[in-house]
Amino acid sequence: MGNIFEEMEQAIIDGDEELCASLAQKTIDEGIDPSEAIDKGFAKGMRVLGDRFENGECFLPALLTAEDAMNAAIEILKPKIEASKAQKEKLGKVVIGTIHGDVHDIGKNIVKLFMSVAGFDVIDLGRDVPVRNFIQTAQRENADIIAASALMTTTMVYMPELIKQLKELGIREQYKVMIGGAPVIKSWAQEVGSDGYGLTAKEAVENAKELLI
Amino acid sequence: MIDFWEVINRSENGELMEERAYDRLVGKVSNEMIKKYNIKYDPEEVVSSDDNLADRLYDAAVEFFVKVGVYNCDTDRVIKFKEKELFEALEATPDQIVWGQGRDQRIMRHRKVEDTAPPFCNFTLVGTPYPEDQFLQACMSTARERLADCFSGPSLLGTLGGVEVKSGSAVEVAAGIFDIGKRREAARRVGYPGKGIYSHVSAAEKADAMIAAARPEFGCLDGDGVLCAAIAEMKVDNDRMKKTVFLLNTYYNMGGLNGPLMGGYAGGPEGTSMVLVAHNFLNLMVFRSQYSTNFPIDMWQTCNTTRPMLWLVGTAHQALARNTHFLHFANAFTAAGPCTNFVCYELINHGITAAVSGAHLAPAACARNKYPERCTGMEGRICAEAGHAAARSGMTRKDANTIVKKILSKYENKIKDAPLGKKFSECYDLDKVIPTQEYLDLYDEVKEEVSSYGLNYS
Repeated sequence: MGNIFEEMEQAIIDGDEELCASLAQKTIDEGIDPSEAIDKGFAKGMRVLGDRFENGECFLPALLTAEDAMNAAIEILKPKIEASKAQKEKLGKVVIGTIHGDVHDIGKNIVKLFMSVAGFDVIDLGRDVPVRNFIQTAQRENADIIAASALMTTTMVYMPELIKQLKELGIREQYKVMIGGAPVIKSWAQEVGSDGYGLTAKEAVENAKELLI
Repeated sequence: MIDFWEVINRSENGELMEERAYDRLVGKVSNEMIKKYNIKYDPEEVVSSDDNLADRLYDAAVEFFVKVGVYNCDTDRVIKFKEKELFEALEATPDQIVWGQGRDQRIMRHRKVEDTAPPFCNFTLVGTPYPEDQFLQACMSTARERLADCFSGPSLLGTLGGVEVKSGSAVEVAAGIFDIGKRREAARRVGYPGKGIYSHVSAAEKADAMIAAARPEFGCLDGDGVLCAAIAEMKVDNDRMKKTVFLLNTYYNMGGLNGPLMGGYAGGPEGTSMVLVAHNFLNLMVFRSQYSTNFPIDMWQTCNTTRPMLWLVGTAHQALARNTHFLHFANAFTAAGPCTNFVCYELINHGITAAVSGAHLAPAACARNKYPERCTGMEGRICAEAGHAAARSGMTRKDANTIVKKILSKYENKIKDAPLGKKFSECYDLDKVIPTQEYLDLYDEVKEEVSSYGLNYS
């Protein structure tokens, strides 16, 4: 059993979509717990790559290729996971997007990827997202966290607006608000009343986990 | 050169593609090109003297550009160009442009690798947030610098007249008008009323605000410049193309702005260097730019003064300088903030590397470009003086490599903990708008040190 998990981990690291799909099929054929296959095999490979990325030892294309390979495996395992009583609980639901007026989304995409790998259910609203869309989606999806990113000083000012509107609607306490992006510094994030901040994608994930404890 | 309306046509009718698929295509083709053209980062050749590498990088960028095209995020379509169209445009682009007015006019000319002509220098505080009450002095700090052939200012932080400046809001238009007004006032105050303003409305992200502010009665003159920024990597949107249409009908110098992320969609230093060259093609073909400003950034350190980033800056600019007469600025981003030895080392290294690689200089963004008031005209001086010294003395890339590596050893292992430095108000006399004696003395000491490594300032 140990070997197949290691194979899965390596297949993800290599970004081998075909092998990941075949290992996922083998999981089903041999009656291996699909949640275990993901946690100890495929997702472990993503975590290894995530650490390498954080240390500057690999680059975004490797993460994207691995994500495609991971998705190929999950697609095959999905029916079994959903049928399984052992379906793993998600850590929490995150609504993420680049704030209104801002079209720069690489940082947000990396945080989204890291959060998904960590076990969060992530709803990506994309770029240039109006404040009301964050709030409406969070309400509709019953989210735990609203996460907003910005690259410009003239767009980061919509982040306090997000917090202000949540307060005005009387729903501020229902959500944890996380903010980040190139111009956002920790002291400012605290000053405007956000709950969480991440200088890096990894820090954002750790912070998100702490917020939901 | 391909007609702009044909570019618009292609952006409306080109291949339909999901953005996610395009991002992956950039990574895939980038990887294929660096293998095919054997592009390899050598940490010992920080300033590469390999002409063949520069030429291979250029060829790789051409093939990459033709294969991936440019993505329009609004139409979800890929704007493709033929190699012939690119070469025709490169042939047609000017090899010199004029900045400014009257006695303050300056000519920016194409530079070759190891050119002894000094780089044309734009002093900027790009993206550094400044409050309204220090905005004018900040602009004066760059405008007054002797080596500033043209200049720019910071970004307006927070509020204008007590109202928050938000992208897309009515206040953004007011901020754009305030911005250009203060820049021109700064030029007058320091005795260079006609000095070219390189990017006159950085407060205006949206096209409507930029267009609204671009009027002579607000301070915007012919011979100033306006930038259209590409979205990383290789993307544009309709708002940016609106700016292009406006600029094509004006006398402003049209520039492109490129900040590919090392570690991002294009991969490591090799892929990002190649994609940076390709971004210059995007500037020319889609934004109709006469010049570009390049600020590749290390995704983790948010600067471009690390060893791989200096290699990337050098090789990309050499590829452009050797194979085109397109005009291109290198924009230094430092990890450290003002009034530190650390920032001096970073700026000198960037200035030398870019200057011997055929680039013009656009210093600087400091303290990872996020801390308010932590970039001043003095950092431009430090970078530009190093670039001028390297060019004037006829420094070769080989000699530059030796010096740059010596300077790198002073800071590269400490870059994660680079000091934040001092705020503008702490390292400048704000009444006279001149650097404090402490900052001048600190810089003199560093100059003396790097002179002993072989950089001849005299």
